[in-house]
Amino acid sequence: MSTIETISEDIFQDTMSRSVQDVFRTMLGRNATLIHGTGAANSTGQPWKHPIEFNGQQVVGTVGFIGEISGLIYLYLSAEFAKIVASGLLGISVEEIDAGGDESVNDAVGELTNMTVGGFKNQLCDQGYPCRLTIPSILRGSNFSIEPVSGATRRTYSFDVSGHRLVTDLLMKTSE
Amino acid sequence: MRYKVLTVDDSKTVRIIVRKAFKPFDCEILEAANGVEGLAMASKERPDIVLLDITMPVMDGVEMLTKIKSDPELKGIPIIMLTAEGGRDNVLKIAKIGVRDYIVKPFKEELLIEKVGRVIDLKPITEGPMKSKSILDPCSILVIEDKQTIVNQIQEGLKHTPWKINSATTTGEAIDYCSRNATPDLIMISLSLPDEAAFTLFRLLRASVKTKYTPIFGLVVKTELLTQQQAQQVGFSSIVTKPLDISELESKIAKAMNLDTSRRYFHTEGDFLMFKLPENCTQLVVNEVMNYLKPKVSEAVDSGISKAVIDLKDIKSLNMTLIKLLFQSMQTCRELALQFVLVGNDNIVAECKGFEDTRNWTFFPSVEDAKTSMTKVGASAPGAATPASAAAPQPAAAGVA
Repeated sequence: MSTIETISEDIFQDTMSRSVQDVFRTMLGRNATLIHGTGAANSTGQPWKHPIEFNGQQVVGTVGFIGEISGLIYLYLSAEFAKIVASGLLGISVEEIDAGGDESVNDAVGELTNMTVGGFKNQLCDQGYPCRLTIPSILRGSNFSIEPVSGATRRTYSFDVSGHRLVTDLLMKTSE
Repeated sequence: MRYKVLTVDDSKTVRIIVRKAFKPFDCEILEAANGVEGLAMASKERPDIVLLDITMPVMDGVEMLTKIKSDPELKGIPIIMLTAEGGRDNVLKIAKIGVRDYIVKPFKEELLIEKVGRVIDLKPITEGPMKSKSILDPCSILVIEDKQTIVNQIQEGLKHTPWKINSATTTGEAIDYCSRNATPDLIMISLSLPDEAAFTLFRLLRASVKTKYTPIFGLVVKTELLTQQQAQQVGFSSIVTKPLDISELESKIAKAMNLDTSRRYFHTEGDFLMFKLPENCTQLVVNEVMNYLKPKVSEAVDSGISKAVIDLKDIKSLNMTLIKLLFQSMQTCRELALQFVLVGNDNIVAECKGFEDTRNWTFFPSVEDAKTSMTKVGASAPGAATPASAAAPQPAAAGVA
């Protein structure tokens, strides 16, 4: 079985781009345009620069995948965009989302992340890297950074979705 | 009866999306957040279809699917996977366990409706109050079958109903019939018609505005599993296997035509609610009764009725399912302050003595005796009587368990 090292950067970028675009188009009727992709950068044990800086609160969804390839994807949205996403998925106004509190937003972002990571890993499954998903989890805050352990590769992709910033942060375990 | 759709997904967002998608249709949406809750809900509510996610905490979808398929009472419930877990190999592996279809997220609501619509007849909610046809109303059924024996069996078996059974032997005759007469309320097509005529006819019927929503059953020999699978995938409303089980056929027809079958079990006589169980209490019958129990008892109480007679006289033998139904019935009566008594036969009385939980139930030997006792005394507790063979019933208030 091939290792992840044999997967080119182009394939990673295309796969990620396709899954993000598919999710936003299908579920929210919005176009997602890839602005920038970093490619892999091995951790050297030095503090990593946070991939993107949002003003104010961020909502970050994460889902893992385990199997022939293993890793995590973090989906970064601003709190404002997260509410818009929740409003779109649930078919209710942003005001109603506000009234309901964070729970519905967290769940919506969790599911959005689930679908995005699912789309990403399913494409790799079909190319010979079987793996399965973990359940989602959510981070909220305004001043934090997510840093992988050594031995993981990191690729970040920035998207523009109707003027809102979306970042996907792909962390993968390297083959031994 | 409305179709029941059970959505099993740990994401409340997905459950809300599913609920929203089915809002224009006449069906009830049930929810569960994991496989354990899903199994409990499926067992309790007997949904007509399950939409099942895979990645969930507590119990995942694959485990729930495996458990449902190995439960004789639940395995017939059609399941459509609705999950982010895709990949060719994964889909094939899960399909082998036995699913009706597989939808990979993200998904469009229209696709969900289309796929579910192939399994159950989704009817749009009509404006204004809809008068539901009852089991006592005449209906027209068209059977397309080239074996006259089968047609005769169906006509003979259903002759006690007000349903008119018409027949045709070929696709041409069937199309001709539908164009010259009022649209049948239900159509049955033999899947053994030559040259895959059944599937051609199905597509033609679904393409016609007149028969787009008409329930269409496939008639097929029990062992023809591949044909059954093909018919289900294409979207036949139900499969009826030969040799025919007429009582099962009757239940399927009633369900497919959304007939109110409550009159089989519930009716009012004066100021009494009469609840009678038939001789042959199959699981289908029990499910039907459970569906009507609370609404019918509520309806009775709402109209001022305060007494009920639960008539088990026709039942030959008790089993756990029936006992559970009876407990539920009594509980429902108590919750709505509906006084009730039981009517039974010697066999039922003797069998009740043999179960810990039912040994204190007492029965009247006839409905008349039961009603008389309630009228005299105003029973305040479950029916009290001597067994059917005894000379005279005791007053309802006395000898109460």
